[in-house]
Amino acid sequence: MAGALAGLRVLDLTDQQGALAGKLLADLGADVVLVEPPGGGPLRTIPPFWQGLPDPERSLFFWFYGTSKRGITLDIARSSGAALLRRLAAEADVLLESAPPGRLAALGCGPEALRAVNPRLVIASITPFGQRGPYRDWRASDTVAEAMGGMLLVNGHRGRPPLRALGLQAYHQAGVFAAVGVLGALFARERTGRGQDVDVSLQAAVAGALEHVPGLWHQAGTVAARQGTLHWTRYFRVGRCRDGWVMHCTVGDWTSLVEWVKADGVAADLGDPAWEDVRHRAAGAEHLFDVLDAWAARYTVAELVEGAQLRRIPYAAVRPPEGLLRDPQLAERGFFVPIEHPELGATVPYPGPPFRLTATPWRISRRPPRLGEHNGEVYGEVGITAAELSTLRAQGIV
Amino acid sequence: MRPLDGVRVLDFTWVVAGPVATRILADLGADVIKVERRGATDFGDRRGGLSGTLMRGKRSVVLDLNRPRGLDLARRLVALSDVVIDNFSARVMSNLGLDYEELRRLKPDVVCVRMTGFGLTGPHRDHVSYGPTLQALTGYTLLMGEPGGPPAGFGYSYSDLAGGNLGALAVLAALWHRRRTGCGQLVDLAQLEAVASVVGPALLARALDGGTSTPTGNASQEAPGAPHGVYPCAGDERWLAITVFTDEDWGRFAHALGDPEWTRAERFATRTGRLEHAAELDRLVATWSRDRVAEQAMAVLQGAGVAAGVVANAEDLCARDPQLAARGHFVEVPTPEGRTVRIDGPPFLLSETPARVGGPGPLLGEHTEEVLGELLGLASEEIAELRAAGAAG
Repeated sequence: MAGALAGLRVLDLTDQQGALAGKLLADLGADVVLVEPPGGGPLRTIPPFWQGLPDPERSLFFWFYGTSKRGITLDIARSSGAALLRRLAAEADVLLESAPPGRLAALGCGPEALRAVNPRLVIASITPFGQRGPYRDWRASDTVAEAMGGMLLVNGHRGRPPLRALGLQAYHQAGVFAAVGVLGALFARERTGRGQDVDVSLQAAVAGALEHVPGLWHQAGTVAARQGTLHWTRYFRVGRCRDGWVMHCTVGDWTSLVEWVKADGVAADLGDPAWEDVRHRAAGAEHLFDVLDAWAARYTVAELVEGAQLRRIPYAAVRPPEGLLRDPQLAERGFFVPIEHPELGATVPYPGPPFRLTATPWRISRRPPRLGEHNGEVYGEVGITAAELSTLRAQGIV
Repeated sequence: MRPLDGVRVLDFTWVVAGPVATRILADLGADVIKVERRGATDFGDRRGGLSGTLMRGKRSVVLDLNRPRGLDLARRLVALSDVVIDNFSARVMSNLGLDYEELRRLKPDVVCVRMTGFGLTGPHRDHVSYGPTLQALTGYTLLMGEPGGPPAGFGYSYSDLAGGNLGALAVLAALWHRRRTGCGQLVDLAQLEAVASVVGPALLARALDGGTSTPTGNASQEAPGAPHGVYPCAGDERWLAITVFTDEDWGRFAHALGDPEWTRAERFATRTGRLEHAAELDRLVATWSRDRVAEQAMAVLQGAGVAAGVVANAEDLCARDPQLAARGHFVEVPTPEGRTVRIDGPPFLLSETPARVGGPGPLLGEHTEEVLGELLGLASEEIAELRAAGAAG
């Protein structure tokens, strides 16, 4: 079955800052061609590596972001390479890039040059701070972008340093917003007949993935602080069971929770009707969670979560990401998708769909491309002959 | 003109994740009609700030779905909508008689997006969740911590934002397919899966090696490098994030500091050496940063081409950051009452048909009369009677 975005042609020139955007579009069915420099893109150098052996074809980091993409090589820093990129762009719907602002234009592949050959092209740029403004030429990493976007300060324990996210969440949010922006631009193109630029900033993408930090500032001038595992709403805190950590929750079915703790004989003052008001529970959160911690210590995590879910109280295990590999819900739904890497004799269980379009399923249509794997195929599609391709190879352009 | 002009979204979502998805659709120009009930809790002022940012540019209609006449109004609105979206647990919409099969009878090409916690199938489909419990299950809470220390995790419901932003993408992908083929469909978005899908390469690595993940503090998760992390600056709760990967980065970093003696140590000359001595390096970098004003230290490092940034608090972000201001990220929006409220805007800029904040958050039921009148053609007296009967509000 064809994916929802079947028929869309995408050129992906991004590095790790924007790599998720192309993966999202490719797994939804778009034909995404990854364009790498002849020596390979930076993702291929990032560990970990398959069986611990550093090799451009074995980077799991590259694999994660490379699913369903075809791959070609092209040196766009040379003028004949840039000309070739323009030729590819003439046949594409979308170009994704994450070069420092102005760099593609300096190579003759900026929006003006590309639109001269293809006015319908949508160009999405994913950069640390965006295409304009005083910081546009500044550098960032995922952690620097998380910091400047306001995500980092509120994670961690009081009196200890703030903590960055698990996973590259600045890059990931930028990737999601780039994919959203691209589809928005494609809808607009249906009416205007013209492409446009999509300008995604890592910093702004992080700011677009915050909850209380800007909101409480806007409405009350409040500067949110770190408070350990106590959620800003004060309805959640991590507690300790006999064999591990659990996430408490005091906004589920409160009556059922109190009945349960009472039946265990350790409810202290939780039966006081004043606690039935959620605002009172927020105000007295520290005391409440201290009582619940003492109670939770009698149970294993599995016992506590199972008992809570039976009572429709949203408790959950605090577990490492590999807990997902053994999760019965994900197993039943087939979240991890086995993909063959025949040249390695390996079957790789890739993390699965962000959502399931039931009529046009998300699908990993191919394993990540080997370096230049689709050069013949892709260049052939824009009319480059085998003879021309070997000349380009000899010149080191491809 | 905006990209989704003419698209109507019937929005049954509440709390955070669902409203995050539909606010992006509203920014893109969709007519988002929020179906609400009386008595639901809000995060304060519905016009601006936290609630207003979640509800920006949407209309609000109050219907009592537990009354047959309220439900009938909802069904008539379904027939006029392109997208119907909710983020209840799996059974709620079915119990209301509003599952996909029924919606499709009312509107054959409808895009129906169900943003449940665990999905519409599987043994845990009826489990209940909130953002913090989903990020606990997916590894974020445990893995965001200092090495050997207790879990810390996000101080907020990042899951709701990650799941919500992906929800907007799901709607757009399904609408794109519908534009091509005329076919709507059901989208089963399990927030557990959405959030798991963005853990990234670390999850793929565990799936392959069967290993055990442990917290690594602020160590790099992309290219390995040191120094990498946050460093204290002058003042209370002032920190600077710094990233050094390559030897070139290190040379620029040392030069920006004025090449102090310690930066010339042999053990720091290579990336491997710097990683091996990362803890010592962190202490030395802190001796440099500790007495410096964070913004000034950031400017010195960025001036030398080093990735560095203030660990922004709410005031830095909303009132002091010149870059977000230049992008117009936060906007002042007038309300019908003559107030002005502050709201976050979309983080992506479209050059020709910009997504933008279409208006402040709606008051509860502000548009009941307008929507029932305009879309369903009801007269004022009929609407008044429905209100008196408790079916609408």
